[in-house]
Amino acid sequence: MPFAQARPARPGGLRPRGRGRRAARSLAAGAAALLLVLSTGCGAPPGQEGGGAGLADDPRFVWAVTGADRAVHEQVATLWNETHPDRQVEIYFLAPTADEQRQAMFQDLQSRAGQFDVLGLDVIWTGEFADFGYVESLEDLRPEVEGVSLDGAVDTAQWRQELFALPYSSNGAFLYYRTDLVDEPPRTWQELYETGIEAAEEEGISGFVGQGDRYEGFVVSYLELFWAAGGELFDEEQTRTTFLEGGAAATALDFMTRAHADGLFAEGYDSMVEDDARALFQAGEAVYMRNWPYAVPLLSGEAGEESAVADDFAVAPLPTFDGQGGTSALGGLNNAVSTLSDEKELAREFVLWAATDPDAQALLARNSLPPTMESVYDDAEDPNFRMLGDILAQAHARPPVPGYNSLSLAIQDGLHPAFLGQAEAEPSLEAVERAADDALRQE
Amino acid sequence: MAIRQSSENGRDGRTGGVPAPRGGGGGSGGGGRTARGGGRPPRRPRRRGLGERAMGRIFLTPSFAFMAVIALFPVFYAVLMSLYEIRGFHQDFAGLGNYARALTDPGFYNAALNTLVFTAASVTLEFTVGLGFALIMHQAFVGRGLTRAVILVPWVIPTAVAAQVWRYMFDHNPGFVNAVLGTDVNWLRDPVWSMVGIIAADVWKTAPFVALLLLAGLQTIPKDYYEAAEIDGAGVFQRFWSVTLPLLRPAIVVALLFRTVDALRMFDFAYVFAGYSNSLATLSVYAQRFLVAEPRLGYASALSTVTFVIVMLVGLAFISRMGRHMVGDTAREVKR
Repeated sequence: MPFAQARPARPGGLRPRGRGRRAARSLAAGAAALLLVLSTGCGAPPGQEGGGAGLADDPRFVWAVTGADRAVHEQVATLWNETHPDRQVEIYFLAPTADEQRQAMFQDLQSRAGQFDVLGLDVIWTGEFADFGYVESLEDLRPEVEGVSLDGAVDTAQWRQELFALPYSSNGAFLYYRTDLVDEPPRTWQELYETGIEAAEEEGISGFVGQGDRYEGFVVSYLELFWAAGGELFDEEQTRTTFLEGGAAATALDFMTRAHADGLFAEGYDSMVEDDARALFQAGEAVYMRNWPYAVPLLSGEAGEESAVADDFAVAPLPTFDGQGGTSALGGLNNAVSTLSDEKELAREFVLWAATDPDAQALLARNSLPPTMESVYDDAEDPNFRMLGDILAQAHARPPVPGYNSLSLAIQDGLHPAFLGQAEAEPSLEAVERAADDALRQE
Repeated sequence: MAIRQSSENGRDGRTGGVPAPRGGGGGSGGGGRTARGGGRPPRRPRRRGLGERAMGRIFLTPSFAFMAVIALFPVFYAVLMSLYEIRGFHQDFAGLGNYARALTDPGFYNAALNTLVFTAASVTLEFTVGLGFALIMHQAFVGRGLTRAVILVPWVIPTAVAAQVWRYMFDHNPGFVNAVLGTDVNWLRDPVWSMVGIIAADVWKTAPFVALLLLAGLQTIPKDYYEAAEIDGAGVFQRFWSVTLPLLRPAIVVALLFRTVDALRMFDFAYVFAGYSNSLATLSVYAQRFLVAEPRLGYASALSTVTFVIVMLVGLAFISRMGRHMVGDTAREVKR
């Protein structure tokens, strides 16, 4: 068991012994290898996604990272290779969608192929990868990032108060609004509700578009309302759920239910993802939009985009229920070190560098990918970018517990039908509370 | 039936080494050909060394080994994996625990019910529509070739692609289906209408396949029977009921078997329309959920094993229930 020390303690940890364990392990490894064969056999043609970027002539280790925002990650890796010519890194680009990235990394790890040394993890995967024994503890590097990286970003990199990854990139929500239809961005959700419906009726367009399809985006939208109403999913120590305490869960669901029934939400909000919302807002079909910062250049009509609202929109922080504070959910990537890596020291060095090197983090900012280093925001000139810094400083991390994905699916299963009026609110909320509890106990 | 009889004999001839009457078209010419066939030497001289059977087995071994590796191994491996609780690098032997969990999991029953509803509705509709298509395509009329080609177009489109297109058409924005039907239905997120949606899409997609199988069956029915029935005074419906349907039974059984087994494994439409949502999740989607979204390889294997067993049982039930008639008919006809 070469990597036993990396494994987090499991409460009541029953572990297989001796031959049974070995059999089970080779079993799972074989199964994952089989999956790998199947998935590569059926996947996209080579060259479209995945594969090395050919950045280094003598790579010593491999960084597996999302294929979205390719150019940025390439520049970061190139910068490392220029400054560390004897310890060059090669990038392995995964698919651009989160689910496929996670699957590709699972297959690499579970089959014990171990070709990746540094893993670019979505902020919600930390607990799962730590619990599965896939990533090394980086707790000893905590002093290096505390106070340097955004607090929320550090939160997403830890599980049970232990760091398993270091922050790399971040993301937060803007409220996009039409300056020709509303004078001031709303401070509260009630205000948004009233002005949205009013302006929409006058113009014959929709009041609000956003991420309402039944996927992680819906969970983010709901949790932002939930946090805006003062809710927290878990207590400080992440030992029990506080989902139903204080009534925030019901307030948030009630807002969504009314917004859907009264027509604040656009028709088809319940099957809308980021780019559907963006397309409608860009065509001038909505008053408000919740979306990530990527939409700003598109809506401004940059790079040959056609935009009906190029001069008529602005961004603001998302509102809350009492007009105080911000409520965005945190997105982004953390870098972790694979337990199967042969170059753990190098990998650790790279992960730390990507989190704390001012030049590397500034590269992200220059490419419109929100960095996690606080100081980068202070130096920025673009007012939207500085606002994003403020939003991120107050943003909430979705708790990266091992069962986060199950919890997310439970929120989708329970609350999506509820806000559409297809299911009762109360039992749906109770089901989510049970799922939140399960997510902590990791069965 | 002359056709079937002679082909049966032909098969016997190959395995037993007895020269067979070569199959011919009409029953009238058969006798003469049999006589010609009987003129050959009855037996080949015995060779030394390995017998024909042994040689056959040796030649077949690679194919069987290949089949075992690609078809049987994964099945047994999945069964083996289903006995473990697997979370990343931690694995425990769980015995039948995963199966016990599946049988107490409301999500599993929900998926089973969805699968059942989908299968019953889509297979019934596909059979009805497909039979209609087949009867049309079987008629001689101008442009028959073109009609056949057009009807088969949906079947040629890959299911995943078709599912994406249908999802787009059902979507509220831009709302093609609602515009055409003049309705205001939430096709993707209403639990009842979304099921109607995937059934409609699947019928559109697979009815041509059923039509193709049934058309092949129709073309084996000799015209003589229809002529005879017509002379005896049978009307159109009586001819359909008493001649076409009984003689089409083998093709019908094959079509229903294929479609039922396929529908029970349905993944594409449900997943593309609603992801892992309970409102549409079939057994395959539910198993996939634990393979990818909530990775528990052991539980996922148990779920897919249960699905496999269900599909296999249904398939066997088809073959033994309806198939026996087929086999029985053939046997009787051969004896005649």
